[in-house]
Amino acid sequence: MQFILSGIAIGSIYGLIAMALAITFYVTRTINFAQGQLMMVTVMLTAMLSAAGTPVWLAMIIGLVSSCILGVLSYLIAIRPILQVNRFSFGWLVSTLGFAVILENGAALIWGPTSRSFPQMLISYRVPIGNAVLNGQQVLAIVVAIVLTIAFEVVRRRTFFGKLGMATAVDPDMAEAIGANTTVVAIVAFIVSALFAGIAGLLVGPTTFANPYLGSTFGTFGFIAMMIGGGTEKPVAAMFGGLILGVCAEGANALINSQASDWFPFLVLVIILIISPRGLFSSSSPLMRLRRPPAAKA
Amino acid sequence: MMSNETPILEVSNLSTGYGRFDVVRDVQLRVGTGEAVALLGPNGAGKTTVLNAIMGLVKVRKGQIFISGKNMAGLPAHRIARGHAAIAPEGRRLFLDQSVEDNLILGALHLRRDQDRVRKLLDSVYELFPVLRKYRDRQSTYLSGGEQQMVAIGRMLMADPEILLLDEPSVALSPVAVEIVVKALMELRRRGASLLLVEQRIDVAVRVCSRLYVMTHGEIVDEMTPEQVNQGGMSILNKYLG
Ligand SMILES: Nc1ncnc2c1ncn2[C@@H]1O[C@H](COP(=O)(O)OP(=O)(O)OP(=O)(O)O)[C@@H](O)[C@H]1O
Ligand SMILES: [Mg+2]
Repeated sequence: MQFILSGIAIGSIYGLIAMALAITFYVTRTINFAQGQLMMVTVMLTAMLSAAGTPVWLAMIIGLVSSCILGVLSYLIAIRPILQVNRFSFGWLVSTLGFAVILENGAALIWGPTSRSFPQMLISYRVPIGNAVLNGQQVLAIVVAIVLTIAFEVVRRRTFFGKLGMATAVDPDMAEAIGANTTVVAIVAFIVSALFAGIAGLLVGPTTFANPYLGSTFGTFGFIAMMIGGGTEKPVAAMFGGLILGVCAEGANALINSQASDWFPFLVLVIILIISPRGLFSSSSPLMRLRRPPAAKA
Repeated sequence: MMSNETPILEVSNLSTGYGRFDVVRDVQLRVGTGEAVALLGPNGAGKTTVLNAIMGLVKVRKGQIFISGKNMAGLPAHRIARGHAAIAPEGRRLFLDQSVEDNLILGALHLRRDQDRVRKLLDSVYELFPVLRKYRDRQSTYLSGGEQQMVAIGRMLMADPEILLLDEPSVALSPVAVEIVVKALMELRRRGASLLLVEQRIDVAVRVCSRLYVMTHGEIVDEMTPEQVNQGGMSILNKYLG
């Protein structure tokens, strides 16, 4: 029970990062490998500013805005120029990784490689649930993940901008032909995505403390979560991938040994990708086929 | 003819292509106000390329494209889409995961601050294709080919542009569906729309248009009226179209 709940809590964080990756993939068909580093920047700036006496709320806002700016820059510098030369090029693999390395080493240079304290926020509250206990920060993570996931789906399906995003995702040329500036759509996607990653950072900061290498760890788990869930097809699936990953990782720690979360998630990923290559909640997944009535014979 | 007034569309010396090759060379064509003009030609002649160049989807390498006297060559598609031109493209290219009405409303992107106008346009599309009103909430994947073509035409009309660009709207449709599309195009002409229709079916082009251009191997090689086609021009056309 305890590991399921704390798995869901950490899974919410992985899910938010996975959604961040999936949102930009949805619109541009690229993966921003600097996503974890955007989260790290929010965490580092918030830690630094609040340590210097800035009110925590203001530090958090500055941290989030900074990751949004860097998110847009990662698109404009590392992704857009490559897609303009050739929409089907994979050059962004290298350039976004490069962007990640620069952010990570830049952060290590500025703030040093060791961990710094992060505002405590809600971590000292204890919330008993059945015979398990979560801290306030974990509960907050779960609530925020639920709210953001629902909000994202509502915006995507119900608002004009969301529909425009869907149109851009399926056919960017046709979206241009109806008058969409697809560069602007992509920039908005990168801002939303950086917000998701930054918020994930604020939620997990009190637990992990502020460390320049945070981005690699969480970026990797976010990527695994996206692949498990099938986030390359629809961003919400990435959130469910995160929850599964979180429960698997915490379960491995609780039931195998305390280091098992280092390797068990990779095993889960491999098994899931063998069963359902495009992720558990993709339309081609055996799981999804179960739900659907069998196709009529033509 | 109408050579003294500014035409809605005037393409001059247009050359463009993909990679190292120009697949369209030195194309001249014009569409007058309220005129319907066809662009006929065999597979691979370069018809779609011309249409996409006008829409801004293919980069213009040489020449000019004037819409109501303004040069559009070099502008990105999303600028040209703001009331100048709209396209019902080859292959229809609907936003298949969205409903019929959402596809239509997306077509009126540049008018979204004028909801009254969007409503009126939507009503006029539903009047033109009543079946779309019935299926307005249906996801567009689940429509028949003919119905999808109606959505593509409707989406183009929603932009209320100066010129309509249609790329083989009759292709792969049942005879009944072709008839609906042709009737709709004739109705649009009656309402005074200017349109450039790419076709391979001579009968469709002759019924809808008042002038036909013939294109082969990237060049415009002939120009005819429907009367000329009916008075013996058909055999010449058939030779061009292979
Ligand atoms: N995206 C592309 N990249 C490279 N070559 C292309 C591309 N699109 C078309 N072509 C080539 O350009 C030439 C003209 O193609 P286009 O599609 O304009 O012809 P079309 O007249 O519309 O033919 P169809 O009637 O078959 O639709 C063809 O030789 C085609 O192979
Ligand atoms: Mg064509």
